Amino acid sequence: MTVEQVAEAAAPEATARAGREPFRTRTKRALAGAPDAPLVLLGNFEVEDAWAVGEVGLPSVGGASATAALVNRMDELALLLAGPGDHVVLKGEPDPDHLAHLDALGVGLPTVHVAESSDPLRTVTLDALDSPALLASLRGLAADGVRLLAHGTSSAEEDLAVATGLRSVLPGVATTKAVNSKVYSRGLCDELGIEQARGWACRTVEDFERACAEAARLVADGATVGVKDAYGVSGKGILVVDDPRRLDQLVRMVTRRAARSGDDRLAVVVEVWADKATDLNYHFTVAPDGAVTFDFVKEAITEGGVHKGHRIPSRLPAEQVDELAGLAERLGARLAADGFHGLVGVDALVRTDGGLLPVLEINARSNMSTYTVPLQERFLPPGWVALARQYPLVLDAPLPFAALHDRLGDLLPGAPGEAGLVVQATGTVNAGAASRAAGGTFAGRLHGLLVAPDDDALARLDAAVTERLAPIPAGATGRPTGGDPR
Amino acid sequence: MSTSTNTESQEALGRDRVVGAVVEALSSVLGRPLPDVTDATRLFDDLDLDSTSVLGLLMALEDSLDMEVDPESLEQHHLESVGSLTDFVVEHSTRN
Repeated sequence: MTVEQVAEAAAPEATARAGREPFRTRTKRALAGAPDAPLVLLGNFEVEDAWAVGEVGLPSVGGASATAALVNRMDELALLLAGPGDHVVLKGEPDPDHLAHLDALGVGLPTVHVAESSDPLRTVTLDALDSPALLASLRGLAADGVRLLAHGTSSAEEDLAVATGLRSVLPGVATTKAVNSKVYSRGLCDELGIEQARGWACRTVEDFERACAEAARLVADGATVGVKDAYGVSGKGILVVDDPRRLDQLVRMVTRRAARSGDDRLAVVVEVWADKATDLNYHFTVAPDGAVTFDFVKEAITEGGVHKGHRIPSRLPAEQVDELAGLAERLGARLAADGFHGLVGVDALVRTDGGLLPVLEINARSNMSTYTVPLQERFLPPGWVALARQYPLVLDAPLPFAALHDRLGDLLPGAPGEAGLVVQATGTVNAGAASRAAGGTFAGRLHGLLVAPDDDALARLDAAVTERLAPIPAGATGRPTGGDPR
Repeated sequence: MSTSTNTESQEALGRDRVVGAVVEALSSVLGRPLPDVTDATRLFDDLDLDSTSVLGLLMALEDSLDMEVDPESLEQHHLESVGSLTDFVVEHSTRN
């Protein structure tokens, strides 16, 4: 199925030549029954947090996540997954200069609906549920037959569907949550005979004690082990262990907690870390009738288990792409048998010996890799390479797109087919501004897609963007233009 | 009290020793030396600690100070800086 690899790097015209329908229309065809079905998109990232409620995982520190405000503004990534006939619900108004920039690049934009009540620590869905005027608008769309595509379904998205009458193209929370557990994923691979890392699915403290005792022996012999929450996301809820004493400590912590609560349930997996050469993410779509479409495979860039970006296209040999496409068919069929339909990404890896470890975890929801596909189709000429990545920012004042544009200048493409950084979203850039201490700095993040003719040019572009985004000394942030960040 | 040493002594840990242990634990989980940290150094913003590393940090502190920490007793504000984490450990501990 090398055509997928080709299509991965193809512009729309080339995609059509390769016989591949663009991602957006084929996804709509699969999930909503028609290639032009209008959708309301909802970027409720880290929906795992909602699925984890009521589950007992690794001991965790109390209080809100330090990055919650930033993650919640990833809602804006849905903007470019949607097309001109679609609607997107956001926590805040997108930067008008960013929209104008995208429009000038020929990107067809959806209609934006903004929640009139917004709390940085709430997901976009919870904001929407607290916004009567927005709910009224969405009821109007529902009456016109527009349907809902959330990042993933939790009870909040079900509540939104009920409150607005919007019919979701995805299954309900019970099915979605069940198939997204890492405990489920290990069981599914066992059942299908799919090779996976040596590991243990733990449903009770007793399971965990046994697993840690076995894992500790492997760690003592030099292995590294990961302990993962069943509903952890992108590096959160993972403890990487290379010292057997840590497993003993963890068992003690978990046992003490269970003794206090009287609850011996647990939902974690313990897995031996494989020798990794390359991380992968492959993606498929399961239609309500069970038909499975293999979408793509990308190289994933991770640091310490945390997602940092994707290299497109993957450099996998055709046989391994075929192998993953075949697995996608089997996994998709099994998910469909359990009542799931929708978008699915699977994390996998290439071992140092060149073999595939084809399932690390199954994420039956939109993935980070999902959100860049329409941009790739528009901006990545055949034979070129792309890097979807995020740049950490340290800012002492909000940075509007005009100032960002000013800073990046010639590193932004002037038209599709040119090398440069396509800025995906700006909501995450300034998400932390409201909570910074007076005179202090705050952390932001810029999401974008770098495109270049070859790997060397891509690396130079990446380095140049990184340099331009480096902190500027206080008092010198941006130039005094119309987009002055102050 | 949800955090305690394994001994019966109620004498608080010396703050200097705790600061040293906090810096050593941070260095261990971050995998790099930290020569310039002060009480005011912020764990997430200045040192790039992430939420994933917090559990490992607590375990390293348990080791070096011979104490037990229940993660649920630690709140976000305790993790703002080296100083606030040190205060938490001193406040919730007794010396061996």
